[in-house]
Amino acid sequence: MTERLGGSGPPATSSLGDSLVTDWDTRDDDLPPPDWGRPRGPRRIATVWLFAGFMVALALGNAWLSDTLTGEAFLAWATIFTAISLQALPFLVFGVALSAALTAFVPSSFYRRVFPANTALAVPVAGAAGAVLPGCECASVPVAGGLIKRGVAPAAALTFLLAAPAINPVVLVATAVAFAGQPEMVAGRFVASLGAAVVVGWLWARFGRTDWLRPPRAHHDPSAPAWRVFQESMLHDLLHAGGFLVVGGLAAATLNVVVPREWVLAVAGLPVVSVLVLALLAILLSICSEADAFVAVSLTDFSPTAKLAFLVVGPMVDLKLIALQGGTFGWSFARRFVPLTLAVALLFSFLVGGVLL
Amino acid sequence: MNRVAQGLVLVLLGTAALASTVFTELYLNYVQAGFRPFLIAAGVVLVVLGLVVVAAELRLVVREEQAAHDHGGGHGDHAHVPRVAWLLLLPAVSVFVIAPPALGAYTAENAASAAPPEKAEGGGNFDELGDPDSAAPVEMKLREFVSRAWTDEERAMSGRTIELTGFAVPNPEGKGWYLARLQMACCAADAIVNRVLITDQPEPAKDSWWTVRGTWEEPEGDLQSVRDHHFSVAEMTEVDDPPDPYE
Repeated sequence: MTERLGGSGPPATSSLGDSLVTDWDTRDDDLPPPDWGRPRGPRRIATVWLFAGFMVALALGNAWLSDTLTGEAFLAWATIFTAISLQALPFLVFGVALSAALTAFVPSSFYRRVFPANTALAVPVAGAAGAVLPGCECASVPVAGGLIKRGVAPAAALTFLLAAPAINPVVLVATAVAFAGQPEMVAGRFVASLGAAVVVGWLWARFGRTDWLRPPRAHHDPSAPAWRVFQESMLHDLLHAGGFLVVGGLAAATLNVVVPREWVLAVAGLPVVSVLVLALLAILLSICSEADAFVAVSLTDFSPTAKLAFLVVGPMVDLKLIALQGGTFGWSFARRFVPLTLAVALLFSFLVGGVLL
Repeated sequence: MNRVAQGLVLVLLGTAALASTVFTELYLNYVQAGFRPFLIAAGVVLVVLGLVVVAAELRLVVREEQAAHDHGGGHGDHAHVPRVAWLLLLPAVSVFVIAPPALGAYTAENAASAAPPEKAEGGGNFDELGDPDSAAPVEMKLREFVSRAWTDEERAMSGRTIELTGFAVPNPEGKGWYLARLQMACCAADAIVNRVLITDQPEPAKDSWWTVRGTWEEPEGDLQSVRDHHFSVAEMTEVDDPPDPYE
């Protein structure tokens, strides 16, 4: 289980993905029988009544509470939390649907044709593929999970996960609009993000271990009809990723309201510290990658390199992403992957910022 | 979390997305108007998926199939939905119970305000302000006013009557009050404040909306070094909150 990934060359007989999928199948046997903990009929009926009661409570709550809740800070917090949740929702549903479609309708052989068997080569291919999917971070996590499920090398799927939200056409256009007259910022964002994503992929291929990554889901029954696999995969991914997305939204909304901007602006003049502060701000605010350029351009007191760090780190590491990744791939994965990504993203921000900006 | 609960959570979440877009304009408090079709699509997908799951499960109960776990192609992980999935109810609770209003003066006082754009961008990029000899007021978005006031070196706004709409924000640091408007790129989390300082009118109630008519008080010297744009008001009328509170 602790075999090294990639680097020294793929297994002679089958692709790396095959060996991973097999591992997951054997692991499945350790799980308790599926009917454990499953409630019997009457309890499921009771659940319906419970929800009916819950909806009545919502209606009553609306009638009584919505006029009495007037705390300004609380309402601002609630607005930002609702905004982050609603804004991420279409991307989450889109990403989950795409991931489910990848699982249900696209044969494994397709991925073997697209992604080279050699992990070291598959990583840059995955990075380039990230330039195609117009989604935000929330979409790319379930899609990467779907890729791993279908036997794509984890290192390549993770590179895709990092690259897709940062360098897709929608994000680059948004960046160009926000930084009108500064095309070097768009170029810097593209180069630094792609570079960081590929390097993280290579590092993961070289040093990553299979058992750090929890399989996104039990391998589905090959005899089930495709639409059924699609439905089950969507349900599963929505409930897993969605809950953690809400956790991230709660944390981001809290920090958005609590952290005074003056603290941030006070350090804008310091050369290295300011870069780190904006990187930290990107992590805490968890703004969608399609919008972060507009926020970055408003932070005029900061150096271009600091703004670049904001744009490079934000789509790769932020509170809602950490929660999503931990929920999807397991915390022993997130504990290692997040600091690695942050370090590489910062390194590339400094490098590219120093050369281009 | 049994499958009925799983399905119903998705239905409620989807209903929240639909209720705030199809039946009301609540969503404009949180996200860009352009999000509407995507929110509706996501809401429909969630409601349909949730109903399919619940219906399939209830059919099983009605048939009293004891071998319930054999359905669905034998997926073994239904019972392993993490508790955190219950949090998906929170956005629905927030939309239905709290229905938070658009961000207003509280945020405008605390959030980052727009700042002068880089010099490279400024100058000459602006449309004509209508007929320069006409006395008719020029209706303008606050963000446009602010950006012109910072970068239009030709000072085309000078002497013109301009109409702005926004909400009142107190000025904690001195005389006067701000007429402000939040600018949103994607969702309320990235809101940026545009504001003008008004000193020649009594301060109205915080968060009340006003349309003001008046002129730009031209600063002397460098436009970019200005911190607050001063606006001299000739006439102001209270207005109802616009349906889309952001610019």
